[in-house]
Amino acid sequence: MEPVLELKNVSVTYKNAEKEVYAVRNVSLRIEKGDSLGIVGESGSGKSTLAMAVLRLLSENSAVVEGEAMFGGRNLLAMSQEELRELRWTQLAVVFQKAMNSLSPVHRIGTQFEDIYRVHEPKASKAEIKKRVLELFKLVNLPERVYRLYPHEMSGGMLQRTAIALSLLHNPKLLIFDEATTALDVVTQGQILKEVVEMEKTLDMTRIMITHDMSVVAVSCNKIAVMYAGEFMEVGMTKDVLSHPMHPYTKGLLQAFPSLKGEVNELKAIPGFLPDLSKKSAGCIFAPRCPYKTAACEQMKPEPVTLEDGRIVACLAVGGGKNE
Amino acid sequence: MSRYVLKRIGTGILTVLVVFVINFVIMHATPGDPINYLMGKDNHNEELRAELEAKYGLDQPMHVQFFSYLKTAATGDLGDSIIYGKPVSQMIGEKVGATLLLGLVSGIMALLLGTVMGIYAARHEGKLSDWLFSGFSYIMNSVPSFWLGLMLILIFASGLKLLPSYGMTSARVSYTGWAHIKDVLIHLILPAVTLTAILIPQYFRIAKSSVLQVTNEEFVMSLRATGMSEKKIFNKYIFRNAILPTVTIFGISMAFLITGVTLIETVFAWPGMGTLVLKAINQRDYPTLMGIYLVMSIAIAVVMLIVDLIYALLDPRIRYQ
Amino acid sequence: MHRVIEFMKKVWGFIKKDKQLIAGCIGILILFLMIVFAPVIAPENPHYYGPDALVAPGELGHLLGTNHMGQDIFSMIIYGVRTSLKVAVISALISGILGVLIGGVAGFFGGKVDTVVSEINNVFMMLPTFFLILLIVALFGNSITNVMIVIGITTWPSNAKLMRAQALSIRERTYVNAAKALGESNTQILFKYIIPNGIFPVIANTTMGMSNAILTEAGLSFLGLGDPNIISWGQMIYEGKSYITSAWWISVFAGIAIILTVLVFYLLGDGLNNVLNPKSGRK
Repeated sequence: MEPVLELKNVSVTYKNAEKEVYAVRNVSLRIEKGDSLGIVGESGSGKSTLAMAVLRLLSENSAVVEGEAMFGGRNLLAMSQEELRELRWTQLAVVFQKAMNSLSPVHRIGTQFEDIYRVHEPKASKAEIKKRVLELFKLVNLPERVYRLYPHEMSGGMLQRTAIALSLLHNPKLLIFDEATTALDVVTQGQILKEVVEMEKTLDMTRIMITHDMSVVAVSCNKIAVMYAGEFMEVGMTKDVLSHPMHPYTKGLLQAFPSLKGEVNELKAIPGFLPDLSKKSAGCIFAPRCPYKTAACEQMKPEPVTLEDGRIVACLAVGGGKNE
Repeated sequence: MSRYVLKRIGTGILTVLVVFVINFVIMHATPGDPINYLMGKDNHNEELRAELEAKYGLDQPMHVQFFSYLKTAATGDLGDSIIYGKPVSQMIGEKVGATLLLGLVSGIMALLLGTVMGIYAARHEGKLSDWLFSGFSYIMNSVPSFWLGLMLILIFASGLKLLPSYGMTSARVSYTGWAHIKDVLIHLILPAVTLTAILIPQYFRIAKSSVLQVTNEEFVMSLRATGMSEKKIFNKYIFRNAILPTVTIFGISMAFLITGVTLIETVFAWPGMGTLVLKAINQRDYPTLMGIYLVMSIAIAVVMLIVDLIYALLDPRIRYQ
Repeated sequence: MHRVIEFMKKVWGFIKKDKQLIAGCIGILILFLMIVFAPVIAPENPHYYGPDALVAPGELGHLLGTNHMGQDIFSMIIYGVRTSLKVAVISALISGILGVLIGGVAGFFGGKVDTVVSEINNVFMMLPTFFLILLIVALFGNSITNVMIVIGITTWPSNAKLMRAQALSIRERTYVNAAKALGESNTQILFKYIIPNGIFPVIANTTMGMSNAILTEAGLSFLGLGDPNIISWGQMIYEGKSYITSAWWISVFAGIAIILTVLVFYLLGDGLNNVLNPKSGRK
């Protein structure tokens, strides 16, 4: 079955007068219909950059994007702005991190929804739009009065739900949540995640959640992709990866998070820092911090290997040697 | 919102009081006693002195004097001009119209032109038009208003003989009706152009930086992600957000506007309050000077208050608190 | 000697970050040279009432002509730099010191002091200071000293506002709390930590204030409130007003001198702002 989104060798390089930063390097990924994929990584891992690049929201002056992002048979990265515009919001929508900053502070919520609706349905009547919006509000548990409010009159949770409702306006095929719950308190975050998962039972939606918080993925995603320094380390079904992580980085990440069950285990942070992304490395990008590294790891870059159960791992220890 | 309004009114009233205090302090701080100052140093008229002493109650303690001064001023009595003997309030009343004409026309023109230039420069940042507009703004910021007026007179009035060099109306002929209006307008051109040019930089600066700032905000990127056209994003969303600081600047620039009007009126012999000020300075007509200061300060305070109210209405973050 | 070179290298490293700052510094240098070497650069003593009155530029050895009293315009312009800079620096110093002290105290101590100072600030921002200056000078005398002092004591509010904002944030810093815990007195803290760390935006603002001081002095002179004993560009424009159609050079060159000098200070101030507050500048 054709995937909803397939990334093939996508790279994003930031260029300025002084140097080039290889933020995302040669990344490939398949997202099937109905998936809820969580892309997890530390700050600086390139996860948001990847999403922005695929959505073509990065400034062309500062970022060079290479590779293919196949969506509905077409390459997002090669399309013209016109073609892209047709897809935006109707097929592909985003929920950003701080919803307060995603909305214009001086226009009412309803006005903004109307304008955004009319981008793709210019002839729609106000009544029609309002009906649709109120429907969505019900779906995300927002009271009707939000339609007349201004952003600053709402709480963080309400704003985030508004942003979710907004993203569902045209029933997009693919929805990307870019750190969408990071700015919320834990309780609200939990509520919203629950609501999203409930919502998906009735809507036909494929979702990508970008986050640094493992628990968000554990609770709301069926697949997980672990990203480090611009590359995918491990991709697989969430329950499999969380219970039996195969990549050393994944193992390290899991050890750094407190257990959901409340056992008091010692938390171990992964020693070291992110590598300097302006330099290309010969070997495995995680090698400097890996407790299992070998001499080969520093010289040979592991190719991602697909295992029998569908798990993908990029580690020499799991048979990722390029030139065997 | 109501808290905001009350606070602003409070500051306004305080400002007016402060002006009174300043005037009062100055009156008593100058060498010689205040009556001398109100009468003029060389006036030895005993009757007048007795009258004034009674009126201003100089034998009373300071705070009583202050209140009687306040009371007198509140009734519109700002004293009489030493030189002309006329009530200061009357003299001001005669000249206010001309100043308002010049000031308002220039202020509004500067706001419109400066803002348009600023928006354009922001959208074409780094290009030639940006450099030209920014350069113009920078230089106009450094030019003394009165000097610019002189230069324009030199070029357009005496040089090219296109426009009149002084006054509000022709000295030789007296027009009525439409001809009169046309006459005034022709005389208005040079002074208004001068003042407008001097005022443009502040509007330019704020408009340009505001548009740049708003364009870089996250919600603009969010709107782009929805596929909205750049045109719509700019015309409705960026504009509405970016225009707010310009309103604030209009209020703040009032003080600067008054200074400019005064200086330019003296250059062009425009019969407004500025010319009144000049004569008063030359003749050391202190009551007139202080009366004008009072009136101007109050006017500015009132305008700033109105501007702040308009701003509060425009910005929903303040309107709905 | 080595230390001096090290210091100068540091200063240059700081300056070259911003084009406007470079231009401003070069301008200041030129002005400074003009002040020091005025007697050498100027062909005549500017106060000298020569035999050639109202001579056009270029004639009879007068590069920029002479005025109605026979004074050489070019020499007057050169000596005028001293006046302008004196006014600019002294009034800015007064305004800066007052602003820093008042704003620092208000921000650091907070409470009622702060409320009072803030209200005063708000009030002063509404008042047309030029008029106040005009009034005071008209009443108390028009010596250049008076002018400088008056400008200084009427323009401190903007500096105070900046300093207050800085003080408010700096007083929360750890090293301030540490100093308090160590028993340092409030006065010591104010002068050792708050003011030195918060003074940068005030410096940039003061530079802008210098431009305004020059324009204000020129305006006062133009209205006849200038100091007649001193060579000032504003005075020159004032004197040249009556001769504008017959001897335009008296006013024109003085105005150009003002424009260039004020520009230098604006470049300096803008440049300083760009370097010290990178976020408040451009993208």
